[in-house]
Amino acid sequence: MTSDSSEPVAPETASDTEALDDDVTRRVFVHHLSFMGGGAVLLGSACKDEPKKAVAPVTAEVPPGAPLVSKHQTFTNEEFAIVAAAAERILPKDEDVGALDTNVPEYIDRVLQTPQLTQMKEQFVPGVLALNRRAQRLVKTDFIKATAAQQDEVLTTFKNSGERTGENKFYEILVVLTLEGYLGDPSYGGNTNRAGWGVMGFKLVDHMPVDPAEGYDGLKKLHDMKCGGGKGC
Amino acid sequence: MAAKDAVDVVIVGSGAGGSPMALELGRAGFKVVVLEKGAWYKREEFVHDEILSSRRNFFMPLPWDEPHLWRKGTDQPYAKTNEAWTANCVGGGTVHMSGYFYRLKPVDFRLKSEIGAIPGANIADWPITYKDLEPFYDRAEEELGVSGNAVPHKFLEPRKKNYPLPPLAEHPVAFEIDKACKSLGWQSIPTARGIASIGYKGRGGCTYCALCGSYGCENGAKSSTLAALIPAAVETGNVEIRPLCMAKEVTVDAKGNAKSVIYVDGDGVEHEQPAKIIVISATAVESARLLLNSKSGKHPNGLGNDNGLVGKNLVFSSFGQSRATFRVSKQKEQHPWLSTEAPFVNRSLQEFYMMPDNRFGFRKGGTLGFMWVHPNPIFAAVNMAKKGPEGVFGKALKDKLREYRDSKILEFEIYGEFLPNPDTQVQVDDKVKDKYGLPVASITVKRHPMDLTMTKFLVDRGEEVLSAMKPEKLDRIGTAGETTILQGGTCRFGTDPASSVLDKDCKLHGVNNLYVVDGSFMPTSGAVPFTLTIVANSFRVASGLVTRLKKGT
Repeated sequence: MTSDSSEPVAPETASDTEALDDDVTRRVFVHHLSFMGGGAVLLGSACKDEPKKAVAPVTAEVPPGAPLVSKHQTFTNEEFAIVAAAAERILPKDEDVGALDTNVPEYIDRVLQTPQLTQMKEQFVPGVLALNRRAQRLVKTDFIKATAAQQDEVLTTFKNSGERTGENKFYEILVVLTLEGYLGDPSYGGNTNRAGWGVMGFKLVDHMPVDPAEGYDGLKKLHDMKCGGGKGC
Repeated sequence: MAAKDAVDVVIVGSGAGGSPMALELGRAGFKVVVLEKGAWYKREEFVHDEILSSRRNFFMPLPWDEPHLWRKGTDQPYAKTNEAWTANCVGGGTVHMSGYFYRLKPVDFRLKSEIGAIPGANIADWPITYKDLEPFYDRAEEELGVSGNAVPHKFLEPRKKNYPLPPLAEHPVAFEIDKACKSLGWQSIPTARGIASIGYKGRGGCTYCALCGSYGCENGAKSSTLAALIPAAVETGNVEIRPLCMAKEVTVDAKGNAKSVIYVDGDGVEHEQPAKIIVISATAVESARLLLNSKSGKHPNGLGNDNGLVGKNLVFSSFGQSRATFRVSKQKEQHPWLSTEAPFVNRSLQEFYMMPDNRFGFRKGGTLGFMWVHPNPIFAAVNMAKKGPEGVFGKALKDKLREYRDSKILEFEIYGEFLPNPDTQVQVDDKVKDKYGLPVASITVKRHPMDLTMTKFLVDRGEEVLSAMKPEKLDRIGTAGETTILQGGTCRFGTDPASSVLDKDCKLHGVNNLYVVDGSFMPTSGAVPFTLTIVANSFRVASGLVTRLKKGT
């Protein structure tokens, strides 16, 4: 399946870099975190002036006339398959579980629906098909049909595309969300059977009854969050 | 907008500064309202969920809703960040702190007299001495519950008694640090913690879950003001906490004294709360912003800002860090302590708090605190993955995760003097507004070169300690940072109204009923975390205020 090359290709255009000032923002977090201890590396701290204005909902990009067939919340089936394949290259299965074993693609799909990540979603979703187009150009096949080595080659071009490019941003979000899905609380949909924690040797939860207990739902907490006074976030 | 009934005191902020004030005034029988912009979390809402607690807006506001404009260097553009916010919730930054509790030393109160003026820096003696604050340090440690063991050393501050609670159990690596320091001719000391080692005043003792910093404590062991002071304040029947209420402005009367606080509640409705006394304690950055945003005919440049000093002389804590990695599989014979699991290291080195001369380019140094690297797995893994050309994924990344599983990582961080200077300040930007429509704080940071010389010196010494412990590898994280959740200076106190914002009682010069009790009052940063000092100072100011209110003046 290919995409019309005339559609907006946000992550590959120069103008997209305007929305990427948060790279600067992110960098200033790095050097002072440990007093709080592994603290608030907030994701997607983008710098748009008018984030609250209505934006077209970023969901499936469906060819005109085609029915929306997706069992997912953020991605079309086509996009979801690409995200899943890419996440599995970030954390491939080997002697330890990989991204697919731990339901990481589901995590990414769900967490991008939380209000805190609205801007990240706007940056990330168009990049999925851009990744596919890059595969078509570079290795002459769809990303999901490419070999593992070819997929790595395509991801590497995104990774190394320069600090303020959309491709670089897409890669960074992909890695961070994959790691969140792999190592986050299982209530968010990933880290199946806490297997990601096993790989890292993290075993600190379950000391206390109020550790994420039966029925805890981290995603619901994010959706319901009221922060800092005033209405909503 | 209807005005609420007037109360004796309204306090803006419920953290390290606001809570002691509320407690003391409530106990003395005065009617107090506390306006807190964040939520009032219950203990059971503090769960071990890294995504919620450490990576989203559970504690920190979102930078597009409520940005702090931030630039490092006057020639740099501002970025919209959530830099220099602390937790927005009842209890403030004390809720998600790690709780490294140190007192200042007597020298910190008279740095200028001790070492003289420093070109390019604007240091000043405090208008009080260590002796003035000492009884309130005792008080703060007692009320909050601090665990530790004060041992004699060359910079031990004078103290009448030991900590109210015994020290937390330490990992045996603490004794390895002691040995390493001793081999270098230095003395390591126990780090006191704002964590109850055993049950204390209705709070649970620590369960050693290891998730302190960037989390709330689920059994109240951490000595946040939320756990330690707020319940007692509310119990007096005189203190009302209003969460999700954001202060917008302090109004003044015809004489220019403070009259009321205008605030927005959680439903977006605006209210006016009049009071006899108004206390601001919203962090050094946010308190300066509130004063600067409170413009009136009497105070056209902002309340208390007739001399233009509100927001100036901003200080943080100088930061540097290195990490030593020990590999369990390869080194457990050599280091038997690698087989032990225990969260607390609790060792500090204050050998270089003051230098005898200027030989290394500075006189005032700082503190090194040793600790295990924070156990948050996502935080660790994202740092391993990096990005751009040095980024790794696939098998290389998974190998790093597995290597981490086989490692114990010991680090130190520096709390160093941060020299106030003319460029490092908080202003308000009328062109950039937050979700309430208020001009946001814009922060400029420019580091004095002496800070960087000092921090690098301390990092070098810390690495000598870590090297003596024979790790597999040693990584320098940085020598030129600043810890922005520790902040002060923006309303420095002093005796001269021309060169300070607050008087020695932390009341605004020229305004007879407005006090500021967060870190804003500190004219110099000292070289330990600020939290305990802010709490102690608030108890000191509250004591004076109770006397004043009883006299009816």
